[in-house]
Amino acid sequence: MSDDIRASEVLQGGVVGPQAPPEQEPPTENLARRELAGTRTLWGDAWYRLRRNKMALAALTWIVILVAVTLTADLWVPQHFGMPNAINTATAEANQFLGPSLGHPFGTNQLGQDMFSQVVYGARVSLSVGFLAVAIAVVVGLLLGAISGFYGGLADTLIMRVADVFLAFPYIIFALLVLSVLPRDFVTGSILPTVLTIGVLGWPSIARVLRSSILSVKQNDYVDAGRALGANDGRLIMRHILPNAIAPILVYATMSVGGAILTEAALSVLGLGILPNNLSTMISWGQMIAQGQPYLTSSPGVVLWPGLAIVTTVLAFTLLGDGVRDALDVKMKD
Amino acid sequence: MGRYIARRIAQFIPVFLGVTLILFFITTVLPGDPVAVRAGTKPLSPAVYKSLRHAYGLDKPWYVQYVDYLGSLSPVRYSPKSGLRFPGPDLGVSISYGRPVIAMFEETFPYTAELAFAAIAVEIVIGIGVGIVAAVKQFSIWDTFATLSTSILVALPVFWLGVMLQYLFGILLQQWTGGIFYLPIAGASGPPFADWQYLILPAVTLASVSTAYAARIMRSQLLEVGGQDYVRTAQAKGLSPSAVLWGHEMKNALIPVVTFIGLDLGAMLSGAILTETVFNWPGIGNMIYQAIGRRDYPVIFGGVSLILFIVLVVNLLVDISYAFLDPRIRLGSKVEG
Amino acid sequence: MSTPRFRSVIVLAAVMVLAVGVLGAVGCMPKAATTSSSSSTPVKGGTLSYYIGEPAAIDPYNAQETEGVQVVHQLFRSLTDFDDYDATKLVPAAASTWTVNADATVWTFHLNPADKFSDGNTVTAQDFIYAWNRIANPNTVNTATKKADPSQISYHLAFVRGTDDYGNAPKGISGLKALDANTLQVTLKAPFAEFDYVVAHPGLAPVEKSLVEGGVDYNGSKVAFGEMPVGNGPFKMSQPWKHNQYIKVVASDTYYGAKPYLAGVNFMEYKDPDTAYLAFQSGALDFSQIGTGKIKDAESKYGDSADGYTSNPGKQVLLGAENSVYYLLINNKISVLNNLKFREALSLAINRQAICDTIFQGSRQPADNIVPPGIAGYQPGAWQYAKYDVAAAEKALADAGYPGGKGAPQITLAYNADGGHQPIMELVQADLTKIGLKVKLNPFADFPTYLKALTAKNFMVGRLGWVADYPIIDDFMNPLFRTTSSNNYFVFPNKTFDAEIDAARKMTDPTQRLAAYQALDKQIGDQVPVIPLMFYKHHHVVSSRVHNFIFSSMYLADLSKCWISK
Repeated sequence: MSDDIRASEVLQGGVVGPQAPPEQEPPTENLARRELAGTRTLWGDAWYRLRRNKMALAALTWIVILVAVTLTADLWVPQHFGMPNAINTATAEANQFLGPSLGHPFGTNQLGQDMFSQVVYGARVSLSVGFLAVAIAVVVGLLLGAISGFYGGLADTLIMRVADVFLAFPYIIFALLVLSVLPRDFVTGSILPTVLTIGVLGWPSIARVLRSSILSVKQNDYVDAGRALGANDGRLIMRHILPNAIAPILVYATMSVGGAILTEAALSVLGLGILPNNLSTMISWGQMIAQGQPYLTSSPGVVLWPGLAIVTTVLAFTLLGDGVRDALDVKMKD
Repeated sequence: MGRYIARRIAQFIPVFLGVTLILFFITTVLPGDPVAVRAGTKPLSPAVYKSLRHAYGLDKPWYVQYVDYLGSLSPVRYSPKSGLRFPGPDLGVSISYGRPVIAMFEETFPYTAELAFAAIAVEIVIGIGVGIVAAVKQFSIWDTFATLSTSILVALPVFWLGVMLQYLFGILLQQWTGGIFYLPIAGASGPPFADWQYLILPAVTLASVSTAYAARIMRSQLLEVGGQDYVRTAQAKGLSPSAVLWGHEMKNALIPVVTFIGLDLGAMLSGAILTETVFNWPGIGNMIYQAIGRRDYPVIFGGVSLILFIVLVVNLLVDISYAFLDPRIRLGSKVEG
Repeated sequence: MSTPRFRSVIVLAAVMVLAVGVLGAVGCMPKAATTSSSSSTPVKGGTLSYYIGEPAAIDPYNAQETEGVQVVHQLFRSLTDFDDYDATKLVPAAASTWTVNADATVWTFHLNPADKFSDGNTVTAQDFIYAWNRIANPNTVNTATKKADPSQISYHLAFVRGTDDYGNAPKGISGLKALDANTLQVTLKAPFAEFDYVVAHPGLAPVEKSLVEGGVDYNGSKVAFGEMPVGNGPFKMSQPWKHNQYIKVVASDTYYGAKPYLAGVNFMEYKDPDTAYLAFQSGALDFSQIGTGKIKDAESKYGDSADGYTSNPGKQVLLGAENSVYYLLINNKISVLNNLKFREALSLAINRQAICDTIFQGSRQPADNIVPPGIAGYQPGAWQYAKYDVAAAEKALADAGYPGGKGAPQITLAYNADGGHQPIMELVQADLTKIGLKVKLNPFADFPTYLKALTAKNFMVGRLGWVADYPIIDDFMNPLFRTTSSNNYFVFPNKTFDAEIDAARKMTDPTQRLAAYQALDKQIGDQVPVIPLMFYKHHHVVSSRVHNFIFSSMYLADLSKCWISK
């Protein structure tokens, strides 16, 4: 993200985005109920506890609604509200800055485009960026974290020092430079460059989380037992170590989705985000804010709606992450 | 302690070399020529172009430039003629402005520091305050309110918050009060306001996310400490709740909060690009951002070096103060993860 | 939970609330604004707050971008000056009279003997020779940093004999000669009948060698010349430049012209025009740009200036045309774009009015020529394809061999993503899509990257703005369309144009010369080598306490003529 998350990056060994600090809720009455319910898996328990957390449930519901809306958008949004990036230069001036109405629930923007349609399609871009960037960070982070934690030695030292370098690099400056370097043909009309940049910059924190859980799991008897039975390294990691290290990663990843969305928005404001294209439906909330900012004083709506969309979505991922953490009883310590 | 500091500095060196090496490598593939950019679309004679490229060492291979750059960071100079001298690091001359980079940092860094300390003050007062209230009144409406509002703060895009605050306190407030009450929204000085009034909105914006974190950490630490034996013992001794809170709980619960705020200070001192940009604040974040847009390499390199150095020093100070706050930690024997 | 525990919390909370409240209340109390009375007789005194961005330099030596030039223009006066009310005319400045020989190669400037620098020294021909040599020398050393720091505005002097081979001529520019202390003779390498417009540029002002090389005295110590330049203009620096914050100047008592009414001017630096306008609204600035999207609001609040260039109370919004144009470049190397009919189709398809009205709220006007209206000899509609006509565009596209856009390759629109060009390109994209073309946006991360792509001819259709240095048609024809010009990014070779430019430059008869340039302008327009989109206009506002504020089409304010009502 930006200046403001750097502190938490330093504290917690780097994040893809804002992340809640270590917190521990006191044990709830769930334990007793769990006993009564008899045989449940770890995940079953977690799901049970998550459902009882009203905030997390509300957050999950909001995310499900967003996903559903973006997936079905093509079926109903353009028909009623227009394509998000459509421009008609002949009517643009007459249609700009219209207030909210039935046909334009969020009004129109400076180019006479329907803001509701833009916010809906913007969700598609924001969610894709969030999920994909975190996926990249998780894949790279898991791979390097596993090597680092499992094998130790030179590989560990090397990987952890490279991670230090990544974390020490001023985040937004790095992102600006990387995005300036990427070939423009590749960048145009695609979310890939932004996703790659945010994702690649996010791996060190995942690697660190995994590494420390591997270090603590590695000492356990069942790992030794597995090794004694002749399991190879890959099998040990996949079957024994990862399942036990996955909980903190999951919590971490959930919260990072919001962070990635914020980062994309910040890059858009600095002129390096995802671009609209009137031949496609691609539009980013950050872009909407960046393009609407000059008109803020006369038409605050152009900045208000995409801003609210970002806030509610990021908030949902934060609260869901809180809920998942409590449900899995993860202590977020590095 | 001395050994610990020495080891931390030794660890810093490869990280520093790694970051600057990557930076230099990126600039070799970064399109754009600082000299051409300086001229814009106006013609530049080939002789002037060549002379400028040479003056800034841009005609050398990048690794030679890198070695020259590392040399320029050294505070010590030696030449057979003038012997050993200690002129301090020389960060070179800005390509866009033709001025020493050091002089440019001397102008901008005080503003970054001012903003950082103001933001930290907000963070301490409001962050810790809200955290205490939420913990003391756990499960109350105040606690829920604190939890929710800190979650929202964390989810706010900084630039959006900044722009909205400008609109509310600079424009709307002025309209509502007929021009009597409002805040300056951009810049760092100038009538009709006193200089420190310019700090208010940028400091609040910069502090927003960190304040939320500080509050959440404070709250969770107090709750955790509250369940521990020594606190129960203190309560059993018949001490008043406030005596327990201030005399026993706070002492331990504050450690992670202080750590967080210390590290945050390091991050803020290294410049806040978005906040500084939104509020037109003349700090180093803004300066480095502008330098990227002009390919002003001496400013970019000098800025990043300065940031790395500040973060190192602040982190080191935090670690050392940590040892003083928590006697269980012995720095000399602590194994680094 | 018992009460004492709460008490401390409540006390703490109360202290916090109190602290925030006091902070807020004090913070919100700006000093009372001075009430303005409408006086039409000039009043002496007062300090004007003037918005600028951080200049790259305020030493005339590197005065190139608009911000630095605005300051230099207050501190210095060149040989001639543009008339405030009609920039196409010249008025005497450091030179009171000047003459030119029959073939427009030798110019003689007679300096005003009353012209003094603000340190009291008289301006001599030697000061000009020193200043110009400093600019032309590719190895000039910056005395403050001890590094070679050649001037980037040496192109102004490219007309003068002996500037091409400067390095081989150690005696300096051979075309410059001081006939006596007050007479400067300039010999050009080729005829140029409008050279007196070139020397009006603020960058070509005189400087004192002793101050440039030895520094300027300030409070008992030496300050680098570039931080506190000393000039011969109506104002002088009162303290060294406070970078990223302000430049403060006061009226100079040695100025040869009418003394300014103002006691001084504070040039307040802002990174972003939007924040500057907010500061203007809060009363911190007397002169500001109006951010895009706030023009209509400003017009209703502050009223339109009568002529677009002069502000008086109640008529404070300046929307006069500037001498600059925003245009699309066409890479003529690409075969489809080498097709004249295709270029006509592109030019005819774009709804320029919509761009000006929707995005700029009327603060730009549709371009019907590459030469803007503020230039002497501007011909409305001279570029016949620079207009919006969808039917004609569709016909031209069919004539080009692509009826309805069928078979035409995809067009990419290149621009730099850091300059607010995206909405313009989105509208262009929409219009070109409408006549059946496939169009893709091709943004480059920032200006350096984009410039590199232009130089490498790695684009199809791009954008650029051109700001005239001198208000003459030549400053559009020569830099943009000459075969060898570095700004001819669009690879438009036509040797006959080069010859015609040279022919026009020789003509000492103004009427004949103007007609030649006008014919050339029209002839080039017929070839659609570029697509003019918009003319820039002022989008500035002046506070109600300022009278007779003039901001000319050359983007220069004459602050010696305005006053602040008490």
